[in-house]
Amino acid sequence: MPEEITLQVARYRPEQEDRPTFDEYKVPLRKDWAVLDGLNYIKDELDGTLSYRWSCRMGICGSCGARVNGEPKLTCGTFLTDYAPGPVRIEPLANFPIIRDLVVDLTDFLVKLGAVQPWLIRDEDKPVEEGEYLQTPAELDEYKQFSMCINCMLCYSACPVYGLDDKFLGPAAIALAQRYNLDSRDEGADRRLTVLSQPEGVWGCTFVGECSRACPKGVDPAGAIQRYKLTAATAAVKKLLMPWGQR
Amino acid sequence: MTELEKHSYDVVVIGAGGAGLRAAIEARLAGKKTAIISKSLFGKAHTVMAEGGAAAAMGNVNSKDNWMVHFRDTMRGGKFLNNFRMAELHAKEAPDRVWELETYGALFDRTPDGRISQRNFGGHEYPRLAHVGDRTGLELIRTLQQKIVSLQQEDGGDDRLRVFAECTVTDLLLDGSRIAGAVGYYRETGEFVLFETPAIVLATGGVGKSYKVTSNSWEYTGDGHALALRAGATLINMEFLQFHPTGMVWPPSVKGILVTESVRGDGGVLKNSDGKRFMFDYVPDVFRKQYAETEEEADRWYTDPDNNRRPPELLPRDEVARAINAEVKAGRGTPAGGVYLDIASRRPAEYILKRLPSMYHQFKELADVDITEAPMEIGPTCHYVMGGVEVDPDTAAAGGTVEGLFAAGEVSGGMHGSNRLGGNSLSDLLVFGKRAGEYAALYVDRLGSRPAAPAAAVDAAVEAALAPLVRENGENPFDVWSDLQQVMQDLVGIIRRKSELEESLKLLVDLKERIGKVSAPGGRRFNPGWHLAIDLRNMVLVSECTARAALEREESRGGHTREDFPQMDAKWRQVNLVCSVGQAGEVELVRKPVPTIRPELLALFELSELKKYMTDEELAMLGDASAESTGRPGQPAKDGE
Repeated sequence: MPEEITLQVARYRPEQEDRPTFDEYKVPLRKDWAVLDGLNYIKDELDGTLSYRWSCRMGICGSCGARVNGEPKLTCGTFLTDYAPGPVRIEPLANFPIIRDLVVDLTDFLVKLGAVQPWLIRDEDKPVEEGEYLQTPAELDEYKQFSMCINCMLCYSACPVYGLDDKFLGPAAIALAQRYNLDSRDEGADRRLTVLSQPEGVWGCTFVGECSRACPKGVDPAGAIQRYKLTAATAAVKKLLMPWGQR
Repeated sequence: MTELEKHSYDVVVIGAGGAGLRAAIEARLAGKKTAIISKSLFGKAHTVMAEGGAAAAMGNVNSKDNWMVHFRDTMRGGKFLNNFRMAELHAKEAPDRVWELETYGALFDRTPDGRISQRNFGGHEYPRLAHVGDRTGLELIRTLQQKIVSLQQEDGGDDRLRVFAECTVTDLLLDGSRIAGAVGYYRETGEFVLFETPAIVLATGGVGKSYKVTSNSWEYTGDGHALALRAGATLINMEFLQFHPTGMVWPPSVKGILVTESVRGDGGVLKNSDGKRFMFDYVPDVFRKQYAETEEEADRWYTDPDNNRRPPELLPRDEVARAINAEVKAGRGTPAGGVYLDIASRRPAEYILKRLPSMYHQFKELADVDITEAPMEIGPTCHYVMGGVEVDPDTAAAGGTVEGLFAAGEVSGGMHGSNRLGGNSLSDLLVFGKRAGEYAALYVDRLGSRPAAPAAAVDAAVEAALAPLVRENGENPFDVWSDLQQVMQDLVGIIRRKSELEESLKLLVDLKERIGKVSAPGGRRFNPGWHLAIDLRNMVLVSECTARAALEREESRGGHTREDFPQMDAKWRQVNLVCSVGQAGEVELVRKPVPTIRPELLALFELSELKKYMTDEELAMLGDASAESTGRPGQPAKDGE
């Protein structure tokens, strides 16, 4: 095994260049090094100006996403040896404005997150002193998978629909809406329907499935979207047949 | 004054982990215009890494549990050096804070009848940790984040609750002794920003990045500790650092990353290279009565906890960390310098995958080890600082000379005494986050005139922060950082000695000087070298407090072990070590008495237990006091009372 591997890292320094370029760095190729270790090596030893986000090193904070040879990955959980002998191309997540180097602007997602009202909506709240709302393990299993999301944005980088139209609500936001819609304690599904059933909601998705392939946590946003299309369609039909009905 | 972006808020919360978000929610609910300043992206704070759960005596799994048992466990875990009032408030209020989180939408694993399930954890007498798998911290942060978004929607974009993400505060501003604001910079642009505010809540977390081997993420550079000191507040008991017993030791790139205590709670055991389950040899006298003496009894406990004592693997973290250290030192360690944590031979693969999914993936992906088939290699890692800003237990207001400053979560001190129990930090940050927000709001309500931030101080803060960018041919901040970590790891680590602590203080003086001379070329936009240069000021100041306090405390207790003073000393239990910063920036350390525990709380313990912690004089006083009060030391507390 060669002892070094070349990383081609996208650099973008808006004060000195108007488009991203690539810088090449040779880093040690070790069996146990993730791409993030390579980036840290560059920052600590070769070029202290390289900018990228990371935090936990254990795949839970969702800060360190980047494209590795074109595919969106968590750099802390992607190993350099899988790309030997290299070179490895590392670029910022696609479909987001680049701030600097590998750092992208995620403001758009935060707006969409709010749009799906991801919190418990109840007709009547129970006072805290009365303890928890009951929920059986089976009821929990209904939505638990959709709660595993770490907001890493790999699915938005992978999504061709979002790439073409940034009004599309997108995979993580829709999966998050489903996480609450399917929660037995929640009564807000009809309030989320308006946002989800608009053209930029679930109907924007052409079911390419790239989001579920990219997801490092097995959330399956594509599955959430398909499932919701059925819900939205049923609701639409009901409204057509029973216009006097409440929902 | 330097031209810079300016905002005005009633309450500014620095830090966007669990404590900060909970404080901000409370301040906003109290009607205050509130800002949250987050060093990382919104929702990515260190809290996401907490795995095990939030300790709250809801009694869902064992109905014998109640706040008194929780209080007792917390005091025992902290070796009675805890601020008793904080431990009391924490134990009493944690269930409400967990239920409240549930009303925001948090999901928790459930009991068959639909209540919040609770799991066993080290030092907790009953199953007590509300959890969701082993990603409880993530759920907590996500829930609080989304609650904040819901409040923002209620406000309809009128800016009453705003998050400033990827923004680092460099200095607090004072008007006399009163808080008047804070100066920070956006990591993205390097532009400075001024927050004018009469009340600041510090919720910045810990200090672990001053150590080589740590479970902490990059934000943990002691910012809040240092900001508090420089504003005239005091830090207490900075010598107490928790080294979590089970961090990954291999591969090197992930060294220090946490292996959750749940592995042991769910049946995992520690073995040395001889295959011996060694923890039975390390049960200290103070815990002898609560822990099993044979493997058979320990193993029965998992299914019949009422009639058997706990396995010694579930001793408080400081005990387990020291035991592992001793085994490795005695030559019975693994090739990578740890010991084995084995759940593979003790539980079916299916059970492990269901109970510890994140651990399975962590080892599979980071170390190529299948924990359902092979043992893990683990060793101690710097995890948590028990010391922190000295606060009023009820209001979270910082001690010292400053007014309008509050602190909650890891950055505050006292709650956990000399050692924190697992699960007590997620509950801590909910309980005291809420209190800090509430009392910061109250402080603003009672304020007469609003303090004003002096222009000269703003200019000075900006100038100091810019210095490493302007300076040419200085040292690389990453080199200085690496040396600082080595000093703290080697000389102020798990086992401490007088000579080494003295040596560390000399080296820290040099490091302080070097930090004043670093250069960080590369401009102001998202320049990690520059960010580090600013953080280094905080790291070295807080490290000095830790080393000074560690040298002063001549005993071993909880997260402070002195090889030259290996015993716990009841006289030292009466002493808090309090650090402040003098006019010239020098650290001053004084001894202060630990507050006297109220008699009715002492009555929750057997006299034989109190004897392990208290001096003869204290015990004699106790006899007198008990005659006058309803509390009766010497009587075992009845559960459920």
